[in-house]
Amino acid sequence: MRVLTGAPLPENSTLRPTSRWRTGGVAFALLVGLLVLVGISALVGSHWLPAAAVFGILIHQASGGWLGSACGGVAANAAQCTVWTEVVWGARVPTILVALLCGAALALSGATLQGTFRNPLCDPFLLGLSSGAAMGASVLFTFQLALAEQATLLPLFAFAGALIPGMVVYAAARRFAGNPEALVLTGVALSALFSALLATFLFLNPSGGLQLSFWLLGNLQDQTWTRAGILAATVLIGGSLLVLHGRELNVLQLGPEVAESVGVEARRTTRRLILLSTVVTAVAVAFTGVIGFVGLVSPHVVRLLVGPDYRRVLPLSALFGAVFLLGAGDLAQVIIPQVFLPVGIPTSFAGVPFFLYLLYRPGSRAR
Amino acid sequence: MTDGPGPGLEIEDLTVRYGDRLALSSVSLTVAPGEVVAIAGPNGSGKSTLVRSVATQVLGARGCVRIHGRSLEGLRPIERALLVAWMPQDEPLGDNVPLADYVEYGRYAHLARWSGGSSTDRQAVVNALREVDLTDFASRGVLELSGGERQRARLARALAQDAPVLLLDEPTAHLDVGHQLDVLERVRAHARRNRRAVLVALHDLNLAARFTDRVAVLSHGRLRTVGPPADVLSPELLAEIWGIVAEMRRDPSSGLPYLIPRLPARPLPARADRPRPFRVHVVAGGGSGGALVRAAIERGWEVSTGVLPLFDSDSELARELGVPAAVELPFAPIGPEALGRMDALLETADAIVVAPFPVGPTNLVNLEHLAEWVPRRPTILIDHRSGERWDYAGGQGESARARLVTSGALTAPDVAFALRWLAERSAPSGATTPSRS
Repeated sequence: MRVLTGAPLPENSTLRPTSRWRTGGVAFALLVGLLVLVGISALVGSHWLPAAAVFGILIHQASGGWLGSACGGVAANAAQCTVWTEVVWGARVPTILVALLCGAALALSGATLQGTFRNPLCDPFLLGLSSGAAMGASVLFTFQLALAEQATLLPLFAFAGALIPGMVVYAAARRFAGNPEALVLTGVALSALFSALLATFLFLNPSGGLQLSFWLLGNLQDQTWTRAGILAATVLIGGSLLVLHGRELNVLQLGPEVAESVGVEARRTTRRLILLSTVVTAVAVAFTGVIGFVGLVSPHVVRLLVGPDYRRVLPLSALFGAVFLLGAGDLAQVIIPQVFLPVGIPTSFAGVPFFLYLLYRPGSRAR
Repeated sequence: MTDGPGPGLEIEDLTVRYGDRLALSSVSLTVAPGEVVAIAGPNGSGKSTLVRSVATQVLGARGCVRIHGRSLEGLRPIERALLVAWMPQDEPLGDNVPLADYVEYGRYAHLARWSGGSSTDRQAVVNALREVDLTDFASRGVLELSGGERQRARLARALAQDAPVLLLDEPTAHLDVGHQLDVLERVRAHARRNRRAVLVALHDLNLAARFTDRVAVLSHGRLRTVGPPADVLSPELLAEIWGIVAEMRRDPSSGLPYLIPRLPARPLPARADRPRPFRVHVVAGGGSGGALVRAAIERGWEVSTGVLPLFDSDSELARELGVPAAVELPFAPIGPEALGRMDALLETADAIVVAPFPVGPTNLVNLEHLAEWVPRRPTILIDHRSGERWDYAGGQGESARARLVTSGALTAPDVAFALRWLAERSAPSGATTPSRS
């Protein structure tokens, strides 16, 4: 990653204004992309609704009824408008929000794991955190069927499930320091184990067959405002805490000893960061199942755009992950007419070649 | 944090255990503000351990480290970082961030979480870059720097930390001579200017002598001696601690000592079955014995030589290598006194090698005298190159050599052959070692 070579630094100037412009430009482009995709996503669904009605509903509801009319004046009657409003505001908007937040959570988690383990191949999916979380959540389906819809319990079970691979991976990272592939292999093995457990639990569940493919490959559909709210709270709090650790992650790239010598409590910080990544991953997975590669791809694309500084990589990865997953979700709906693919399929199509590139690129072990 | 009133760095009774191994044994050392102290010692003597246990919390460390009177015990990394800056010997390369950002990592302990860095921080970065002369590279990626530039970048990161104590572990590793001098000169200037106490682990004793105020010599985890380089560094100390023979000279302009290491005079450790090293006596002259003498020393054999004229190239070499030699005045015929000295050396030799030296009237007696030794010691003559003129004694050289051969001396076509023969003799089978009577 070759970035930001340029003119010498004039004394006392702030450092590299060019890179700030660049960071700002990338952030702006991602925000514009995000808004456009939100608009498109609101139009995409099992029923086609007039665009004027959709945007009318969005504006009307988002402003708390202050702006515009109920259905943009397009609905034939009040009953139709109520149905449309329910479809757009009750189903599509929370789904969009969940996709954005989930993408941000996975991307942040990926960026953080890559930084703490100093390993470019890390991502919550490849390290088994996602399958662990999905397994934990599936326990609820199997043994507490009546509570299955309680949005609050799902994330807790998912977190409990994700803690197991989280701790194993933490221990493995210390043992396999300097051997990036070994850590990822550990993660892949954990992932296989938890996927098998997950499948077992879901088959034990009488109505499990239906859920299984969505849990294993990710599902953004059928979200509710409660779920979006819980996810928003977790991602905003956990994500902000992660984003604030950009400087620590930068210093940790020089190894724990150097990090300690300049003042970073390396071990404690590493544990805290892994815990936070596990939390945001678990809550995202609890509502959407296992979605692969968002956490791997997003930070790398962002690094290519703005360089390796984690103070920029973390927030922009979150933004990129949100856009990426929302786009993938739309693609999953439209790529085959009348068929809703699990969203993990398009993310895997994008992510696997990227993973192989990272694995085979020259000097990938040089870190 | 610049000019502390206290006594700089105080290390008191520091002991470090790694499991069962005692890495440092009750080391006490102080470094005053503005002073540069070198830690010297062979590999594994505890240099890095000493530096590391001041720089970071090392498990298994006992003792007290104080900076300006304040104990480091129980300090959090962020508090410690304000007192001690450390440049380790090796560290991961990290990301390709711009140099200025990299140097700013050293400011971590000064920056509040919410601030983007004050003007003090930016000024510290700019100053540190200027001190290592990398101002022009501020926006260059650190992985694009050359080895010497990267070493200076790491130094700049430590300088930007602005701590009263600076610890450097082999800061000249991987650097060419010019950059070694450059980096250490900058360190010394920085210490003087900013009243920093600098402790630097150095392999190179000449650099230590040149750039540091005092040298602390570690051996097996113990502090053997500490003092100004001119007092501490001596041929005796080098022989004792490093096991090398070195000649010490003094730079006439600066008065600083410098060392010229020689090949090891100490034989390799004696094996149980061969309590005494193999002894070879080389009869040579005019440079004919040099290769053999060196090769024999490298094999761990004891070597003596003679009789040689003083100032002959072989006798100069013997002097440099610390090889005992029987010598005679130049251009004078070899007299009975010199021959007596050679007899004393031959008495304790296990084998005799006669190098292909030019024979003249003054040194003919070397060959003649050996005749009485050939029956008593295994002897080998290295042949002269064919066609080479070597007998300047009117044929007496030829006949003297022939007499040695008839008395039982072997001949070797070249030095390599003679060395193989010697190696066989030196083997501890016992049968080949002649009785010494």
